[in-house]
Amino acid sequence: MSDKTKKFEKYTITRDGQLMLGKAEQEQIETVWDRFEDQLPQCGYCEMGLSCRNCAMGPCRVDPFGEGPQKGVCGADADIIVARNFGRMIAAGAASHSDHGRDLVEVLEKVSQGKAPGYKINDSEKLMRVAAEYGVATEGKDALTVAGELSYAMQEDYGTRKKGIQLISRVPPKRLKVWEKLGIIPRGIDRETSEMMHRTHMGVDNDWLNLLLQGMRNALSDGWGGSLIATEVSDILFGTPKPVSSTVNIGVLKEDHVNILVHGHNPVVSEMICRAAEDNELVRLAREKGAKGINLAGLCCTGNELLMRHGVPMAGNHLMTELVLMTGAVEMILVDYQCIMPSLGHVAKCFHTRMISTSDKAKFPGMDHREFHPENAAQLARELVKEAVENFTNRNPDRVYIPVDPVQCMAGFSVEAILGALGGSPAPLIDALKAGKIRGAAGIVGCNNPKIRQDYGHVTLAKRLIENDILVLDTGCASVATAKAGLKVPEAIRLAGPGLKEVCGALGIPPVLHVGSCVDNVRIMVLAAALANTLGTDISDLPLAGAAPEWYSEKAVSIGVYVVASGIFTVLGPTPPITGSAKVVNMATAGLNDAVGACFAVEPDPEKAAVLIRRHIEKKRKGLGLSSIEV
Amino acid sequence: MKQVVIHPERCVGCMQCMVACATAHSKTKSLPGALGESPLPKPRIHLGTGLYREGFPNRCRHCDPAPCMMVCLPGAIYREEVGNTVLINGEKCINCATCAMACPFGVIRYHEDSLGPPGKAIAVKCDNCIDRRARGQVPACVEVCKCGALTFEEPSSSFKRKTDEMARRVSAGAEERAEVASPGFVLMNVLKRAQVELSGREA
Repeated sequence: MSDKTKKFEKYTITRDGQLMLGKAEQEQIETVWDRFEDQLPQCGYCEMGLSCRNCAMGPCRVDPFGEGPQKGVCGADADIIVARNFGRMIAAGAASHSDHGRDLVEVLEKVSQGKAPGYKINDSEKLMRVAAEYGVATEGKDALTVAGELSYAMQEDYGTRKKGIQLISRVPPKRLKVWEKLGIIPRGIDRETSEMMHRTHMGVDNDWLNLLLQGMRNALSDGWGGSLIATEVSDILFGTPKPVSSTVNIGVLKEDHVNILVHGHNPVVSEMICRAAEDNELVRLAREKGAKGINLAGLCCTGNELLMRHGVPMAGNHLMTELVLMTGAVEMILVDYQCIMPSLGHVAKCFHTRMISTSDKAKFPGMDHREFHPENAAQLARELVKEAVENFTNRNPDRVYIPVDPVQCMAGFSVEAILGALGGSPAPLIDALKAGKIRGAAGIVGCNNPKIRQDYGHVTLAKRLIENDILVLDTGCASVATAKAGLKVPEAIRLAGPGLKEVCGALGIPPVLHVGSCVDNVRIMVLAAALANTLGTDISDLPLAGAAPEWYSEKAVSIGVYVVASGIFTVLGPTPPITGSAKVVNMATAGLNDAVGACFAVEPDPEKAAVLIRRHIEKKRKGLGLSSIEV
Repeated sequence: MKQVVIHPERCVGCMQCMVACATAHSKTKSLPGALGESPLPKPRIHLGTGLYREGFPNRCRHCDPAPCMMVCLPGAIYREEVGNTVLINGEKCINCATCAMACPFGVIRYHEDSLGPPGKAIAVKCDNCIDRRARGQVPACVEVCKCGALTFEEPSSSFKRKTDEMARRVSAGAEERAEVASPGFVLMNVLKRAQVELSGREA
């Protein structure tokens, strides 16, 4: 097989990915990489952000060479069109995270009303803590009452009655002043997205800079609003993650088990599947059907949610979601929403795999739609797991192909867990930073993108950073990539620089910490804010950086913008569609420094991105009066 | 005489030329109408992908002498002298593919054509929009290309522009004030090239 898979090395650095691509070719099953090739060359107007289809006087495009049309029919020039398009990307990303958060708040509310059998308050200590932040009186009240009042208060965050969303209370005062001066304190989660859509309607906001400012406010409504609520309520309902060991890559599928996969983002569905998969009666049924048991594994971020809280094995990240079907060993995939390729139903038809869509807001071709609601979730999960078990006898053993062994990994590093590992306060981390044992920390986040060889960006960058004593915290597809590469075991400290090796070795943790799903990027922000508050400084003064080496989604755009607006320098791998406007490019890559003390860089090469990050971290160290080195 | 001139360095890969070409060679000459026709009209200009995922609009050069014309056994391919256009007579074409083998540019396709004899696959390629020209219009691909990758002009004017561009580049001190038509497009292409090059690196 190795010669045949050689050509797939340019698509992915993962062995399981290469082997499964070989299987796909042999079975003549189309994948995301084939469709990417079919799309080439991609439209340069759209790639540069220079096309606009916001109204029916258009669609319009601006000639980047300056000879053809320079304005849309309405008169918008390149700067306005680029800024409007970018603003709408942020709005879509913020809406996605925030709507995910809303679904969790609704479950919390239903739990308080006793209308969500199967769900419960798992971390009542965190419930009380967050409720207090929202000004909900907790004394003498039981958890369910507090949950109801908290869910109501959080719903207010989505509305228009407030001057500022609640959880900006965690933001360092200096940072809040920066936002106040720029007028970008998010007022309501839905309000900012709605206003972004309004402003980008023809004839509303036609000042590119003003549009970008609203873009930042919209992204902040996600980072300190919708996403943060999603994470906090997930912890309250399903438990705050603690360090846990598990396994990762396509080898987590078991030939002699019923294999069920969950794919998507919201733990609301996957948690119920996780419980049903442990049901003794269903496990017994699986044995009757000739399997040794039920094996649940995750894909993408809902997989990360289960991995973080229960150590459920992880089958793969974004670009593995089609390939995992080629194992012929998957009885059922249940999906909720976001990043679920509409091709999956077609691929599954080549096998016995049943595909189930579960959300009223996300239906897909070739999938059976079985809608989950808090009221029916526990019961429906049980029914579906039973159907998956029954599907085991339809599996063709001759087509089963699971060619690799799984890799060990550690996950579960919530802020609470990180502080717990440090003995309850960020002080030891600050001491290690001051002593220069750890130079700084970087968040590596975001997706896979067929434009970038799968996992190469994430893994290369993580390796370069840890060998230079920079602690890596990662989420989403990035976290799965580094786990597959073996960077998430305590022994991986052998790849770290001497200082990081010493610190992680003493704590028994890997040098690359799994912080969660993509909404869980807020855990990194909360930790950064806590560090800044402890030091009495701003987030932008800290030796921190962000990177999205293989991003593709609108959600990643919103994340990137709220990270930068919160004061953290961020390096993007793929280029955002803004190169059509020199003004927007200059603002994003330099001008923002003056406004928010951080900016973006675009660098597809992770080797060079690592240098940019190291240089930035050393500069910040110098600013804090700490030892610094020339990079 | 004006001709379609290709400036590959300006192609942004939007594929609008392909859509406009297919529409221009439909029965109804409108995009919504064309989509309802049978057979569906097909483009005669084709966008290729370069090494670094950049576009290249590939169309018939109307060579003289034309290899396709020389090898056409039934004599279906001929030159229309006024517009210096190599054309194919669909009635005479026997669908043998010899012209496609002889064509150095790979611009000849085979299919039933909206404007050709019904029910018969024939060789189809660019006709320089001879019908549109007769109505005083420029070729459809040129009309729709807003970034100047396809122009309809006297070759001499195109050559002069290129020559002047070259001359300015070698002027004293030109490096300091190098003219870049679109810095944003150059930036995007540099980044795309970097992405592609990463695929070949040792992991």
